[in-house]
Amino acid sequence: MMVMAVRARESSSTNLHGNSESVSASLSPDQRFAAEKAFSSVLVSTVREAVGNALGHNVLEILTSKGLLDDASNSREFDRKLQSLFGNGAVVLERIVVKDLSRKLGIRYDSEARLDYEKSLETAKEVCFVGSRLK
Amino acid sequence: MSGSEVLSTLLASEVRGDLLVLFHRNPGLIDTVDGVARRVGRTTIAVISDVRELLQLGVLRQKRIGNSDVVFLDRAKDRELLESVANHLKTVRIGGEK
Repeated sequence: MMVMAVRARESSSTNLHGNSESVSASLSPDQRFAAEKAFSSVLVSTVREAVGNALGHNVLEILTSKGLLDDASNSREFDRKLQSLFGNGAVVLERIVVKDLSRKLGIRYDSEARLDYEKSLETAKEVCFVGSRLK
Repeated sequence: MSGSEVLSTLLASEVRGDLLVLFHRNPGLIDTVDGVARRVGRTTIAVISDVRELLQLGVLRQKRIGNSDVVFLDRAKDRELLESVANHLKTVRIGGEK
Protein backbone atom coordinates (compact mmCIF):
# COMPACT_ATOMS: atom_id res chain seq x y z
CA MET A 1 0.00 0.00 0.00
CA MET A 2 2.89 2.34 0.73
CA VAL A 3 4.06 1.68 -2.81
CA MET A 4 0.76 2.99 -4.16
CA ALA A 5 1.04 6.17 -2.13
CA VAL A 6 4.56 6.73 -3.34
CA ARG A 7 3.51 6.08 -6.92
CA ALA A 8 0.66 8.54 -6.67
CA ARG A 9 3.04 11.16 -5.39
CA GLU A 10 5.73 10.44 -7.95
CA SER A 11 3.40 10.63 -10.88
CA SER A 12 1.56 13.65 -9.58
CA SER A 13 2.11 16.92 -11.34
CA THR A 14 -0.08 19.84 -12.19
CA ASN A 15 -1.39 18.01 -15.18
CA LEU A 16 -1.50 14.47 -13.96
CA HIS A 17 -4.50 12.76 -15.44
CA GLY A 18 -5.32 11.06 -12.19
CA ASN A 19 -8.62 9.35 -11.62
CA SER A 20 -9.89 9.24 -8.07
CA GLU A 21 -12.68 6.86 -9.09
CA SER A 22 -10.35 3.85 -9.12
CA VAL A 23 -8.98 4.57 -5.67
CA SER A 24 -12.26 5.69 -4.14
CA ALA A 25 -14.04 2.57 -5.43
CA SER A 26 -11.90 0.44 -3.14
CA LEU A 27 -12.77 2.50 -0.06
CA SER A 28 -15.57 1.59 2.30
CA PRO A 29 -18.43 4.11 2.41
CA ASP A 30 -17.16 5.42 5.75
CA GLN A 31 -13.60 5.76 4.46
CA ARG A 32 -14.84 7.43 1.32
CA PHE A 33 -16.97 9.90 3.28
CA ALA A 34 -14.04 10.69 5.58
CA ALA A 35 -11.67 11.10 2.63
CA GLU A 36 -14.10 13.40 0.76
CA LYS A 37 -14.56 15.46 3.91
CA ALA A 38 -10.82 15.66 4.57
CA PHE A 39 -10.11 16.71 1.00
CA SER A 40 -12.86 19.31 1.00
CA SER A 41 -11.54 20.76 4.25
CA VAL A 42 -7.96 20.99 2.94
CA LEU A 43 -9.17 22.53 -0.31
CA VAL A 44 -11.36 25.17 1.31
CA SER A 45 -8.62 26.22 3.72
CA THR A 46 -6.15 26.37 0.81
CA VAL A 47 -8.49 28.51 -1.27
CA ARG A 48 -9.04 30.83 1.70
CA GLU A 49 -5.29 31.19 2.22
CA ALA A 50 -4.62 31.70 -1.49
CA VAL A 51 -7.24 34.41 -1.96
CA GLY A 52 -6.41 36.02 1.39
CA ASN A 53 -2.68 36.08 0.69
CA ALA A 54 -3.08 37.38 -2.85
CA LEU A 55 -5.85 39.95 -2.38
CA GLY A 56 -6.19 40.48 1.36
CA HIS A 57 -8.70 39.44 3.95
CA ASN A 58 -11.33 42.09 3.14
CA VAL A 59 -11.59 40.70 -0.37
CA LEU A 60 -11.69 37.16 0.98
CA GLU A 61 -14.57 37.99 3.32
CA ILE A 62 -16.52 39.70 0.54
CA LEU A 63 -16.05 36.71 -1.76
CA THR A 64 -16.99 34.31 1.03
CA SER A 65 -20.19 36.25 1.70
CA LYS A 66 -20.97 36.02 -2.00
CA GLY A 67 -20.69 32.24 -1.87
CA LEU A 68 -17.33 31.71 -3.58
CA LEU A 69 -16.44 28.94 -1.16
CA ASP A 70 -19.83 27.23 -1.17
CA ASP A 71 -19.19 23.84 -2.71
CA ALA A 72 -15.52 24.72 -3.33
CA SER A 73 -14.67 21.08 -3.91
CA ASN A 74 -16.76 21.20 -7.09
CA SER A 75 -13.86 22.37 -9.25
CA ARG A 76 -15.98 23.15 -12.31
CA GLU A 77 -18.36 25.33 -10.33
CA PHE A 78 -15.51 27.05 -8.48
CA ASP A 79 -13.75 27.71 -11.78
CA ARG A 80 -16.95 29.23 -13.20
CA LYS A 81 -17.34 31.51 -10.18
CA LEU A 82 -13.70 32.63 -10.34
CA GLN A 83 -13.99 33.33 -14.07
CA SER A 84 -17.08 35.46 -13.52
CA LEU A 85 -15.31 37.48 -10.83
CA PHE A 86 -11.76 37.71 -12.12
CA GLY A 87 -11.82 36.95 -15.83
CA ASN A 88 -8.27 36.17 -16.94
CA GLY A 89 -7.05 36.64 -13.36
CA ALA A 90 -8.90 33.50 -12.32
CA VAL A 91 -6.12 31.27 -13.64
CA VAL A 92 -3.56 33.13 -11.50
CA LEU A 93 -5.59 32.41 -8.35
CA GLU A 94 -6.12 28.81 -9.42
CA ARG A 95 -2.38 28.36 -9.86
CA ILE A 96 -1.79 29.73 -6.37
CA VAL A 97 -4.39 27.29 -5.02
CA VAL A 98 -2.90 24.32 -6.87
CA LYS A 99 0.65 25.23 -5.86
CA ASP A 100 -0.31 25.52 -2.16
CA LEU A 101 -2.40 22.36 -2.30
CA SER A 102 0.49 20.46 -3.92
CA ARG A 103 2.84 21.66 -1.21
CA LYS A 104 0.44 20.59 1.56
CA LEU A 105 -0.11 17.13 0.06
CA GLY A 106 3.49 16.55 -1.01
CA ILE A 107 2.69 16.52 -4.72
CA ARG A 108 5.28 17.74 -7.20
CA TYR A 109 4.19 21.02 -8.80
CA ASP A 110 5.35 21.93 -12.29
CA SER A 111 5.00 25.67 -12.84
CA GLU A 112 5.92 25.30 -16.52
CA ALA A 113 3.02 22.99 -17.31
CA ARG A 114 -0.28 24.36 -18.56
CA LEU A 115 -2.74 24.50 -15.70
CA ASP A 116 -5.73 22.21 -15.79
CA TYR A 117 -7.45 23.12 -12.55
CA GLU A 118 -9.98 20.32 -12.62
CA LYS A 119 -7.40 17.61 -13.29
CA SER A 120 -5.04 19.06 -10.70
CA LEU A 121 -7.79 18.77 -8.08
CA GLU A 122 -8.51 15.21 -9.18
CA THR A 123 -4.84 14.41 -8.61
CA ALA A 124 -4.88 16.02 -5.18
CA LYS A 125 -8.07 14.16 -4.29
CA GLU A 126 -6.51 10.87 -5.38
CA VAL A 127 -3.54 11.48 -3.09
CA CYS A 128 -5.96 12.20 -0.23
CA PHE A 129 -7.88 9.00 -0.98
CA VAL A 130 -4.73 6.90 -1.13
CA GLY A 131 -3.63 8.44 2.16
CA SER A 132 -6.94 7.55 3.79
CA ARG A 133 -6.74 3.95 2.52
CA LEU A 134 -3.36 3.59 4.18
CA LYS A 135 -4.84 4.54 7.54
CA MET B 1 -7.51 53.76 -11.65
CA SER B 2 -10.73 51.84 -10.93
CA GLY B 3 -10.96 48.82 -8.64
CA SER B 4 -11.55 46.66 -11.67
CA GLU B 5 -8.37 47.94 -13.35
CA VAL B 6 -6.37 47.48 -10.15
CA LEU B 7 -7.61 43.90 -9.93
CA SER B 8 -6.66 43.19 -13.55
CA THR B 9 -3.21 44.66 -12.98
CA LEU B 10 -2.64 42.68 -9.79
CA LEU B 11 -3.66 39.38 -11.36
CA ALA B 12 -2.13 39.95 -14.78
CA SER B 13 0.38 37.11 -14.52
CA GLU B 14 1.34 34.12 -12.41
CA VAL B 15 4.56 35.85 -11.36
CA ARG B 16 2.59 38.85 -10.13
CA GLY B 17 0.37 36.51 -8.14
CA ASP B 18 3.46 34.93 -6.57
CA LEU B 19 4.89 38.36 -5.73
CA LEU B 20 1.64 39.45 -4.08
CA VAL B 21 1.53 36.28 -1.98
CA LEU B 22 5.20 36.69 -1.01
CA PHE B 23 4.82 40.30 0.15
CA HIS B 24 1.46 39.78 1.83
CA ARG B 25 2.81 36.80 3.76
CA ASN B 26 5.94 38.78 4.64
CA PRO B 27 4.83 42.42 4.81
CA GLY B 28 8.12 43.55 6.35
CA LEU B 29 10.25 41.98 3.63
CA ILE B 30 12.95 44.19 2.13
CA ASP B 31 15.08 42.58 -0.55
CA THR B 32 16.77 43.11 -3.89
CA VAL B 33 14.95 42.04 -7.05
CA ASP B 34 17.41 39.13 -7.28
CA GLY B 35 16.50 38.06 -3.77
CA VAL B 36 12.78 38.41 -4.41
CA ALA B 37 13.14 36.32 -7.57
CA ARG B 38 14.88 33.56 -5.61
CA ARG B 39 12.19 33.63 -2.95
CA VAL B 40 9.50 32.90 -5.54
CA GLY B 41 11.68 30.30 -7.25
CA ARG B 42 12.31 32.24 -10.44
CA THR B 43 15.05 34.14 -12.21
CA THR B 44 15.50 37.91 -12.06
CA ILE B 45 14.68 38.16 -15.75
CA ALA B 46 11.42 36.32 -15.18
CA VAL B 47 10.22 38.69 -12.45
CA ILE B 48 11.64 42.07 -13.40
CA SER B 49 8.77 43.31 -15.57
CA ASP B 50 6.18 42.27 -12.96
CA VAL B 51 8.16 43.98 -10.18
CA ARG B 52 8.20 47.12 -12.33
CA GLU B 53 4.43 46.93 -12.82
CA LEU B 54 3.90 46.61 -9.07
CA LEU B 55 6.28 49.54 -8.48
CA GLN B 56 4.34 51.59 -10.99
CA LEU B 57 1.04 50.64 -9.36
CA GLY B 58 2.50 51.64 -6.00
CA VAL B 59 2.10 48.30 -4.21
CA LEU B 60 5.90 48.06 -4.05
CA ARG B 61 8.41 50.79 -3.44
CA GLN B 62 12.12 50.92 -4.11
CA LYS B 63 14.95 52.47 -2.18
CA ARG B 64 18.71 52.27 -2.05
CA ILE B 65 20.45 50.63 0.89
CA GLY B 66 24.24 50.79 0.59
CA ASN B 67 25.06 49.64 -2.90
CA SER B 68 21.82 47.78 -3.40
CA ASP B 69 18.43 48.77 -4.72
CA VAL B 70 15.80 47.04 -2.65
CA VAL B 71 12.05 46.69 -2.98
CA PHE B 72 9.44 46.46 -0.25
CA LEU B 73 5.69 46.54 0.26
CA ASP B 74 4.08 49.97 0.66
CA ARG B 75 1.53 48.81 3.23
CA ALA B 76 -0.60 51.96 3.13
CA LYS B 77 -0.83 51.99 -0.66
CA ASP B 78 -1.42 48.24 -0.75
CA ARG B 79 -4.30 48.61 1.73
CA GLU B 80 -5.76 51.45 -0.33
CA LEU B 81 -5.58 49.48 -3.57
CA LEU B 82 -7.04 46.33 -2.05
CA GLU B 83 -9.84 48.43 -0.60
CA SER B 84 -10.69 49.65 -4.10
CA VAL B 85 -10.66 46.01 -5.29
CA ALA B 86 -12.95 45.04 -2.41
CA ASN B 87 -15.36 47.87 -3.25
CA HIS B 88 -15.39 46.78 -6.87
CA LEU B 89 -16.08 43.16 -5.94
CA LYS B 90 -18.98 44.21 -3.72
CA THR B 91 -20.77 45.31 -6.89
CA VAL B 92 -20.06 42.14 -8.85
CA ARG B 93 -22.38 39.20 -8.55
CA ILE B 94 -20.93 35.74 -8.87
CA GLY B 95 -22.15 34.46 -12.20
CA GLY B 96 -21.35 37.69 -14.03
CA GLU B 97 -24.37 39.90 -13.34
CA LYS B 98 -23.86 43.39 -11.90
